[in-house]
Amino acid sequence: MTVLSVRGLTVRFRMRESAPVRAVTDVSFDLAAGECLALVGESGCGKSVLASALLGLLPGNAETAGSALLAGAGDDPATDLIAADEAILARTVRGRRVGLVPQSPAAHLTPVRTVRAHLTETVRRLTGTRGRDALRTATEAAAARVSFPAGHLDRHPHELSGGLAQRAATALALVGDAPLLLADEPTTGLDRDLVDRTVDELRRHTGATRALLMITHDLAAAARIADRVAVMYAGRLVEIAEADAFFGTPGPRHPYARGLLDALPERAFRPVPGRPPELAALPAGCAFAARCAHADTACATQPPLTGGLACHHPHTAPADLVHPPQAAEAPGA
Amino acid sequence: MADLALPTAPGRVARTARTWKLRISATLVAGFVLAVLLVPPLVGLDEQAVDLGAKLLPPSLDHPFGTDDVGRDLLLRCVYGLRVSLLVGVVAALVATVLGTAVGAAAGALGGWTDRLVMRCVDAFSSVPHLLLGIFIVALFRPGVWPVVVSVGLTHWVSTARIVRAEILSLRARPYIDAAVSGGASRLRLARRHLIPGVLPQAGLAAVLMIPHAIWHESALSFLGLGLPTHQASLGTLVQSARGTLLAGDWWPTLFPGLFIIVPTLAIAGLAGAWRERLNPRRRSELML
Amino acid sequence: MLELLSLTAGYDRRAPVVRDVTLTLAPGEAVGLLGPSGCGKSTLARVAALLHRPDSGRVVIDGEPARGYRHRAPRAQRTAFGVVFQQPRQSADPRLRLADLIAEPLRATGRPEGAADKAAETADTVGLGSDLLGRRPHEVSDGQLQRACLARALILRPRYLVCDEMTAMLDASTTAALVGVVEEYRRETGAALLAVGHDRVLLDRWCDRTVEWSELGSRHDGLATAKPPAEQSPSVR
Repeated sequence: MTVLSVRGLTVRFRMRESAPVRAVTDVSFDLAAGECLALVGESGCGKSVLASALLGLLPGNAETAGSALLAGAGDDPATDLIAADEAILARTVRGRRVGLVPQSPAAHLTPVRTVRAHLTETVRRLTGTRGRDALRTATEAAAARVSFPAGHLDRHPHELSGGLAQRAATALALVGDAPLLLADEPTTGLDRDLVDRTVDELRRHTGATRALLMITHDLAAAARIADRVAVMYAGRLVEIAEADAFFGTPGPRHPYARGLLDALPERAFRPVPGRPPELAALPAGCAFAARCAHADTACATQPPLTGGLACHHPHTAPADLVHPPQAAEAPGA
Repeated sequence: MADLALPTAPGRVARTARTWKLRISATLVAGFVLAVLLVPPLVGLDEQAVDLGAKLLPPSLDHPFGTDDVGRDLLLRCVYGLRVSLLVGVVAALVATVLGTAVGAAAGALGGWTDRLVMRCVDAFSSVPHLLLGIFIVALFRPGVWPVVVSVGLTHWVSTARIVRAEILSLRARPYIDAAVSGGASRLRLARRHLIPGVLPQAGLAAVLMIPHAIWHESALSFLGLGLPTHQASLGTLVQSARGTLLAGDWWPTLFPGLFIIVPTLAIAGLAGAWRERLNPRRRSELML
Repeated sequence: MLELLSLTAGYDRRAPVVRDVTLTLAPGEAVGLLGPSGCGKSTLARVAALLHRPDSGRVVIDGEPARGYRHRAPRAQRTAFGVVFQQPRQSADPRLRLADLIAEPLRATGRPEGAADKAAETADTVGLGSDLLGRRPHEVSDGQLQRACLARALILRPRYLVCDEMTAMLDASTTAALVGVVEEYRRETGAALLAVGHDRVLLDRWCDRTVEWSELGSRHDGLATAKPPAEQSPSVR
């Protein structure tokens, strides 16, 4: 069952002094229940804007096109997250139908309130639970769900370790039993162990009935839990692939995605050459052409996304050539 | 895609409401300031001119706000009153802000025992209700504009000092201060380049927010007969001298000066609110990358 | 050579986060310091760059003991270190344009002439286009801003680089690019590096040797006996 269906989503920012910034251009994908899709790309590629668009949290100078249909429960009609007005989003969508796991839980939680106060308020607002004892039970159940220790419930956010703060934020995101979980850079700045634990928990809570959209620049986190990977470059999706094929063999097909993987310290540790283009001054053709070794005249036209790939010269080498023996190159060479 | 007309995101609605609030506030403030600056030299009428034949006339075309109990035109009196009150408010707010910023910046930047000593004084100051303290200060002088300015200024620097100190402390903990130290910046350069520019917007906002407050205080002191002398039109003295007429059922000598206290102060507060909105770092960037 | 000798440091004398740590950087050596978040490794990095006064212990820079910390350190000692922090947004004064951000150390040390050109040149070496130099921090991405912060750290040509989780917020490609810039600078100048982080794969790939935080506190002078880099394999995998 499709939980989220994004079609032709485009976001532009009107700027006072310069050309409009084309942060997201013509993005389409589907997300099924029980599935985890990782959206990866360099910083500034438009992936956070995409998340804000899905939550209806774009600033006032944003213009949007396309649709993002969020399936309704049972026989309810689907809601277009892009077209819905703020009142509907605030009252019926955020928290209830889309759970947000934030980038920085410390900033997401109010510093003067305890974790229990946060959870209780969210439980009351989203589930309509009333009565002191019922609320207490429901709050503790919500904490137990993410293995948040009950003894720490009366602490303030700054008294928690990074891991516990992240769990508290996850508990809040799960209270509404939303069918779609949206995690925006949930692991930024965390240790590797904590990254692994955080994403494992997210994956576990996705289960068979929910869908998880994880926006991240952390390829290792994506490789750990994603079913599919979507690579974003200069506001467009350039490749969507099964995670196993993408991170293993035969590997990515888009030259940018290959470059991104090659930049990992466990691989070649070689940056993608050149610089990402300005979103306010994108070329007419393929935005990656200026950095691409395979670019030719064909790349002056925009390649359409077909078969999960938008490239005129995709990588098609046989599997055994995809991973050359990892030469011990000098870092950053 | 280039020519595609995109509809505006829903967030724009809230933004439009804010813009309107800003526009109305700005128009009102501009209108009052212009009136205060232009009416006295242009009209040339004597606002003190007593005309016992025209006393306590209700609002009419000749006297849009009516006249007071000795026949003076209330519209003219209100404009003159606002002129004095605004002057007192602005100067008192400036005094309070300069004092508060200096104290707060010294406490925050020097730290240690200076900070503890200063903050004790601040606590002691704020433990006394400031209207009471203000009354005490004006009572030391003969009624006049300057005692009121001094009184309001000396009682209102405390909150600014707190704000500025907190802001400096939070700025000092930023990694960019570490980077500046490592880059060889002297203490003076650190203060001049990073700390002071960092707190100026907050201090300026505090100053603007204090103008309405200072106007209210001036009015309160004058209403109690402790502020300005009664012959000098200020919003406070106008309301005060209208007390007797209100009991007789004549509403206009109280209502219009009252509105002249409320509307300009709300408009200034509205402008300050819009400014605060702009200072909010989350709103500062229109584009989130 | 940078010697950190039995350092104890923290923000509360009763509960120091760095306890009796000794660590030595040989000339030109790149040392990775690996530890979980909140363990105190960032505090050690700040002490090493003379930005935080330790409760006890000494920092010795090329045989000369540090004469103070923060403003009490002589300018020549302070500016021997270039520092880069984890969060570029927190590390950049939001009011400064990138060009001024990068040139600031030159101006602060009384060398304003040609500062703008020097800044543009350094920006180019870290891969920051000249079109971005007129922008303020909120108008660029995290990756671009971190490049500017690295340029600021390099502009005084420091003999030591202290990178505290420099790449934790960045994507793989920007990480590789920034590490490449640091290594290029070190090749050119022979500067030593203390790279603090939590990613073992990255530090092992980047540095001559990687030290675990947990080994530092428990062993008193464990690393004073470490082999000079020439005797070690260049890249421990």
